[in-house]
Amino acid sequence: MGGVNRMAGIADKMASNQKQIAISEFFEKNKHFLGFDSLPRSIITAVKEAVDNSLDACEEARILPEIVVKITKIDTKKDILELQTEDNGPGIPQKSIEKVFGQLLFGSRFHAIRQSRGQQGIGITGVVMYSQLTTGKPTHVLSKISGEPTAVSVNIGLDTRKNKAVKSEQTRIIWEREDMSLKEHGVQVTTRMKAKYQRGRQSVFQYLRMTSIVNPHAEITFVDPDGERFHWPRVTERLPTKVDAIKPHPHGIELGQLQRMCRETSDSRISVFLRQNFSGVSMRAAKELCEAAELSVSTKPKSMKPDDVRALLEAFQGERTIGGKVIKLLSPPTNCLSPIEEMLIKKGLSKTIDSKFIATMTRAPTVSHGNPFQVEVGLIFGDGMSADKHVEVLRFANRVPLMYQQGGCLLTKAIESVDWRQYGLEQAGGKGVPKGPAAILVHLASTNVQFTSEAKEALSDNEFVFEETRKAMLEMGRGLRKHLEKKKKMAKTREKFELINDILPAIAAKSAAILERPVPDLAGSITKIMSAVICNETTTWNKETKQTDVSVTLFNYTTRARSYSLLVNWPEKSGAEIVENERGGRKEAMGIWGWKIETLEPGEQAVLEYSLSGLEKGDWTETEVFFRGSQDVIGATKLDEKMLVEIRRQEEVLTQSEETSVESETNSESSFEPGVVEGDSAQTTLFGGDV
Amino acid sequence: MARVNDPELTKARLHLVVEEMYDRIVKGEPPTMTLPVRTKNNIGFDKKLGVYKYGKKRSTRDATSLGSAKNLLRALHVVEFIEEMIEAGKSSTLREMYYISEGWGLGKFGGQNESNNLAEDLEVVTSCLREDFKLRPEEDGARMIGNVTLNELNRRGQWMTINARDDVGDSGYGLPYNVEIEKIQLKEHDVKFLMAIETGGMFDRLVENGFDEEYDCGLIHLKGQPARSTRRIIKRMNEEWDLPVVVFLDGDPWSFRIFASIAYGAIKTAHISEYLATPSASYLGITSDDILAYDLPSDDLSKKDIEALNAELTDPRFADGWWQDQINMMLEIGKKAEQQSLAKYGLDFVTDTYLPEKLEEMGLA
Repeated sequence: MGGVNRMAGIADKMASNQKQIAISEFFEKNKHFLGFDSLPRSIITAVKEAVDNSLDACEEARILPEIVVKITKIDTKKDILELQTEDNGPGIPQKSIEKVFGQLLFGSRFHAIRQSRGQQGIGITGVVMYSQLTTGKPTHVLSKISGEPTAVSVNIGLDTRKNKAVKSEQTRIIWEREDMSLKEHGVQVTTRMKAKYQRGRQSVFQYLRMTSIVNPHAEITFVDPDGERFHWPRVTERLPTKVDAIKPHPHGIELGQLQRMCRETSDSRISVFLRQNFSGVSMRAAKELCEAAELSVSTKPKSMKPDDVRALLEAFQGERTIGGKVIKLLSPPTNCLSPIEEMLIKKGLSKTIDSKFIATMTRAPTVSHGNPFQVEVGLIFGDGMSADKHVEVLRFANRVPLMYQQGGCLLTKAIESVDWRQYGLEQAGGKGVPKGPAAILVHLASTNVQFTSEAKEALSDNEFVFEETRKAMLEMGRGLRKHLEKKKKMAKTREKFELINDILPAIAAKSAAILERPVPDLAGSITKIMSAVICNETTTWNKETKQTDVSVTLFNYTTRARSYSLLVNWPEKSGAEIVENERGGRKEAMGIWGWKIETLEPGEQAVLEYSLSGLEKGDWTETEVFFRGSQDVIGATKLDEKMLVEIRRQEEVLTQSEETSVESETNSESSFEPGVVEGDSAQTTLFGGDV
Repeated sequence: MARVNDPELTKARLHLVVEEMYDRIVKGEPPTMTLPVRTKNNIGFDKKLGVYKYGKKRSTRDATSLGSAKNLLRALHVVEFIEEMIEAGKSSTLREMYYISEGWGLGKFGGQNESNNLAEDLEVVTSCLREDFKLRPEEDGARMIGNVTLNELNRRGQWMTINARDDVGDSGYGLPYNVEIEKIQLKEHDVKFLMAIETGGMFDRLVENGFDEEYDCGLIHLKGQPARSTRRIIKRMNEEWDLPVVVFLDGDPWSFRIFASIAYGAIKTAHISEYLATPSASYLGITSDDILAYDLPSDDLSKKDIEALNAELTDPRFADGWWQDQINMMLEIGKKAEQQSLAKYGLDFVTDTYLPEKLEEMGLA
């Protein structure tokens, strides 16, 4: 179960409090950051805890999630709602149910660091507690694991003095679905609470909608109190990659945590302790750290005095050096991150927002203060959205929607720092959230998400995350501008084609008829009217072959013969393959294919046709065409050779890093200065320019 | 200036337009239509005709953009349509042509404006009248009262004789859209001059007060900016009967323009000014100095009024000293006045005092 790690923080909090306080008092005092500070928010928090648990459980068990959320009004006067959630996860074994639902101090290994949803709240236990405190009723749990013939049905309450779950009415039953078929595995939670159901930007609906965007592998159904049913279908069969837990990096550790680690380790020598419990510390680095902290390598961590621990931390942070030289550490590995990936963000966005243009970008993972992180953004633009309102900002941290405190969030600030006017959106004074028919998605994946407050709704300032986000935004903006320019150009080209294909022949025929003369030949007039080389691209989904068919036609409407190289972009990174490509051509760089068009006589046209396999409908809807050649081509972009070089360079870096990651972190000799982001953060894409 | 309606000549001239397009395609060039520039910068005084005509500036509409290519195609459809009407002896209104164009596929009009403009384009290029094209405007012809006798060919093909004083009611004789010789003949009259009046209210006031009989004149209601047929009938009576024409309008920049279109020719119809303009017509009032001299109730000039006056200062039709003075004076006092503001001094003031005084100045009473 994923609701495990999140307990750690609370456990620390309570342990450090020394004296045992009544749990209801604790809850009352902390309800603002537990997410139960207002009636409308309470129901959102409850849904969030339940759904996060379901998604985490399915992810761990590699099951494609199917989640149903149902809210019913029980007593409108007293604001009592019933929430029922059901998943198809692995189920919880009978003996673990009370641990998961009823124990607040359920800790885990504190030094496991990974990207997980559960960094917020205290998990489902909080819901059980809130339910009991506001209605006096226990929470009903139904759980079935695969292979067992029956499901556990049990009520969970809390003994608030003993901080223990109280089970009642436990039985085993046959779990039948509505259609009488047997449920194979899953959990159903039914709970009543004092809460208010609302609609709008901060609502259960919005929470689930946002959740479905960043969890395109999940199928989510919501039945609201009026009985209205909303369904967000699954758009990919691909589960998020399983992430590995990593050890903490010395640059990202705090004093309290270091103290605890020293206290609880069984290692007898500090040098071993450093190497085995931290990432990025080589044998040499461990020795140097000890030297800088003026500790013997054989010091026993358990017996370290507070001043020793502090000295060690100072060495970690580069405040203690050896002869002015900061101890070099390796970067933490970044394979502990699970980004959503560009193509899936695209799918997630397009399932909830109907629109023509979507650009997405997943930045390369990078590191800030010892914490690996990765920024992903998406921009969707089109007629489906309101043109005179602020664009919708969809913020996520580790796939969890952030719904409150938008203005104070780092991700929002990064959006606001971009002058969107140059990219075709309205923005008063070039500052603030822009206006226009668009939505912007930002996702931060990180092993350590830093919030502005315990409410955990806004990310706190971090210059590295800010810069990464801003760069990604600029890239989105360039993409949008290109799209708008292309749209304009295409409209013009369409007009020209209408002119020569429809109007001009009609003029010729009509004038000939009136004068009773033969219809004249149009070739000369057409060349004069167009007087350009024109490229026309269509990208369409082929239902029969389940492939994306691309056709590129190049017309020479000039008076001279022309020759060109035509290049197209295609989603190679997303696993697409070029098939049925009769004209051959060659790969020019990652995601760039090229063909040579030898001689195109005046009035002639050349057609390139190929298909892309390995994609789904809606994955690839627009192909960008580039050209090499002297005469400008309407409908295509002149190739910037520098861009090609950059893509090739990045591809090399990528393949190299893949090779080294196979080798394991300890041997790689790249070094790392404190606070400096390492790795290749420069990304160049087809939207052009250096990022 | 007399005109002869010659259907063959009309067709031949329309064919020249078609030939221009056809020949360009044969030469391997985009088809074109060449026509005079229709702005005030391209009108000049024709000494021989005494009216303002288009100058030498030509613009070429070529089929290199979708919009103008469609325009050329529409022109061809219109030419074909006109030929059909000429041959069938029918006519249609511009609005009817607009609806008929629904069946022209790619050549159909996007709006009524387009069909009106294209009819004008063809007139300009061919130097024909739209009456030659068998196209009628929607606009109302004028009303006329006075001792004037005309023959009108009615729809049964019979000539009717109508006296515009004795054979009509108080609303007067309504002029048809076509006042050319094949439709209207000027028979006889017993008037000393013609007075063209801008507003219906003032026209009715003069009729009620019996002004036409007392001062032996024909009264013509212009209905604002006068229709072509109104200007044409004034021109014909002026030319064929040698009758002086006075024009009685509001005192504002727009009235000045109405006068200019009657006396010198309108910018939009400068290609046929010699048929429509009456160079000897004189402006009776309301003048800028009337506003001061009669202390008329007045309104402040609006921003648009001022813009219009400033534009008139550079309009070649208002280049003479008297007009420059009138325009500048109006700008100076910043006021405009309506004809009917004369009612300040009673209902009969206009017929008993104002008009006699003004006509005396002009030597007509």
